Amino acid sequence: MKRRTLLICVVLFLVLIPGMIFAQAKPGAGMYFRLCTHGGDDPFWAVVTKGMQDAAAELGCQADIDLVGGDVSALQKAFLTAVASKPDGIALVINDDNAYNKPVADAIAKGINVIGINNDHSKGAAGNARLAYIGQNEINAGYSIALRMFTVAKAKGINLANATVACAVEVPGANYGKVRTQGIQRAMDMFGITGKPDIIDAGGLEMTTVEQRITAYLVGHPKLTFLFGLGGICTDRLTASLKNANKKPGEIIAGGFDTAPGTIEGMKSGYVEASIDQQQYLQGYFAVYTLYLMKKYSFAPNIDTGGYLVDKNNIGTIQKLSAAHIR
Amino acid sequence: MGEAHFRRGREDRVGNTKSVLLRILSFKISFTLVVFVALFLVFTIFTPGHIFVSSANLASLARLAPDLGIVALPVGMLMICGEFDVSVPSIIAMSSFVFVNLLGWGVPLAVTPFLTLLVGALMGLMNGILVVKTRIPSFIATLGTQLFWRGILYVTSQMMPIGLRSSLPSGSFFETLLIGNIGGVLPVQILWLVGIALVLGFLVHRHRFGNWIFTTGDNKTAARAMGINTDRVKTACYVVVGVVCSFMAMMQALRIESFAATQGIGMDLRAIASSVVGGVALTGGIGSIPGVFFGTLTIQIIENGLILMGAPVFGINAFIGAVVILFVILNVGIERLSLRAQAAASPAGKGNGQ
Repeated sequence: MKRRTLLICVVLFLVLIPGMIFAQAKPGAGMYFRLCTHGGDDPFWAVVTKGMQDAAAELGCQADIDLVGGDVSALQKAFLTAVASKPDGIALVINDDNAYNKPVADAIAKGINVIGINNDHSKGAAGNARLAYIGQNEINAGYSIALRMFTVAKAKGINLANATVACAVEVPGANYGKVRTQGIQRAMDMFGITGKPDIIDAGGLEMTTVEQRITAYLVGHPKLTFLFGLGGICTDRLTASLKNANKKPGEIIAGGFDTAPGTIEGMKSGYVEASIDQQQYLQGYFAVYTLYLMKKYSFAPNIDTGGYLVDKNNIGTIQKLSAAHIR
Repeated sequence: MGEAHFRRGREDRVGNTKSVLLRILSFKISFTLVVFVALFLVFTIFTPGHIFVSSANLASLARLAPDLGIVALPVGMLMICGEFDVSVPSIIAMSSFVFVNLLGWGVPLAVTPFLTLLVGALMGLMNGILVVKTRIPSFIATLGTQLFWRGILYVTSQMMPIGLRSSLPSGSFFETLLIGNIGGVLPVQILWLVGIALVLGFLVHRHRFGNWIFTTGDNKTAARAMGINTDRVKTACYVVVGVVCSFMAMMQALRIESFAATQGIGMDLRAIASSVVGGVALTGGIGSIPGVFFGTLTIQIIENGLILMGAPVFGINAFIGAVVILFVILNVGIERLSLRAQAAASPAGKGNGQ
């Protein structure tokens, strides 16, 4: 009996002590962070979630993500619920210039660190009290993709003074669309393209509806020069819409955001010139690391994760990592 | 005498014309059809360069409009039966997920479609049993299943799209059968829409089962008293919704060449709107499959025509919403007038007047 008891103690010692040492080796053990986002069915957020989970595993902390969809009031409610649970830090998608200003300020006053991810107040730190922002600079992103497309058009000898521009957006009025359009407008002004981009209401996230509406626009505007997808779903449907409207590859210079399967196929077939990869894995990954470092050492870095231009020359890398939910 | 006779004759002729008109309008489809034809003509005439009837636009409508149409037909049938199904988006997304994954796992193409349809049937069966056994209002019950299946999908798919081409090269017979072109011009999807409309139309309007659907939707108690198993009728309708949605999910997955977690979003309410525009009563017991067919096409040509005419970007949804409300008001109004006319025309009614 004594021998058996001794044996059990030895086994427990051999199992538990290394485990405790190993657990203590993780710097973020015991910490809890929450990401409050407007994500939903869009696969974009699966990659953000992967980044968050990988960072949490490395740090040994806990992290959860809210995916409440596009309703601003629902996201505000999720944020308030997160604050009430007293986490060690919250990362919030600031997709509205008004709804989160007071809640964020109140949370920080209570000692909860809050950073912005993915979307920011249009005036940045001047508009919202968030302590840092991790994400793509949406104006720069819009500018980058437009710069590429307009440069290609100029090289083809297209008369940009008479060019027309249209931007398809899943949710007209949402911040991401408005700010990316500002970047596109900046590039238009630089290249001497007059007027404002025409906004196509793509009708939401449903694939057929998006494709139908973009197709109808293309049929109704046969002289269109440039077509942007302001979100991942619209960009995904550009190729099919161009084909439906009997356009040849490159006849309308098209581009957009993210790297959904339809977008990648479009780049391979020549219908889509390029797309901006937000590198959203880093938004989830750096959100957790930033909140950890903020809690421990009060660091507050702003990190621009985006603006990676994807075209037919580097799709291979993207495709390989897409299967692992990293891109 | 002559004058009284003349006056009564004229009154009779006016009354007959009125009752004939009301009889015509009481066929729900007639009003929808008139509006559809009128809109078709308006957009043909007023779109720049008459591009509404260009081959590119008509081909694109024929290719894309059937997605909603195919879903709206069984949803409308279920509404005639007196119930709703708002889990349609989740059935579509889940079916597409199963379809693409089965192909990826190497399940033979000869078997995959049937397994996918089986998944839709089982999801529909679950809805039916939930509604008839628990007596929860169908809108709430199917809202619950919509959220449930959407959650399961999130966990299993991680919301990541799954490409189709690695497991199904393009040009297969199955793909041509579902989304090919006849003569390189006519998309097969429109034929599928017409075919499903004919099958469901026969079932609802020419088969005994259709009588049961109408009676169940009109007055469940009376239907039971007549010996109709209303629970079985409703469950069967839910299964049909599930199977047809799965079929549409396969068509859509083939066309977009992948599974996307956003497939079907919003189709529940759009299918209900199409049915209402087609004359289906929200309270059940009234409607027609041809009405739903033209109701769907009406909504979709409104969307298409407004974009071609350069409607303001935020105006399209508002216009469609206004049309739906208008149709509900008109249908209710016509129904009331028709009932009053029938009451007046009945022998009891005539006796009272004289």
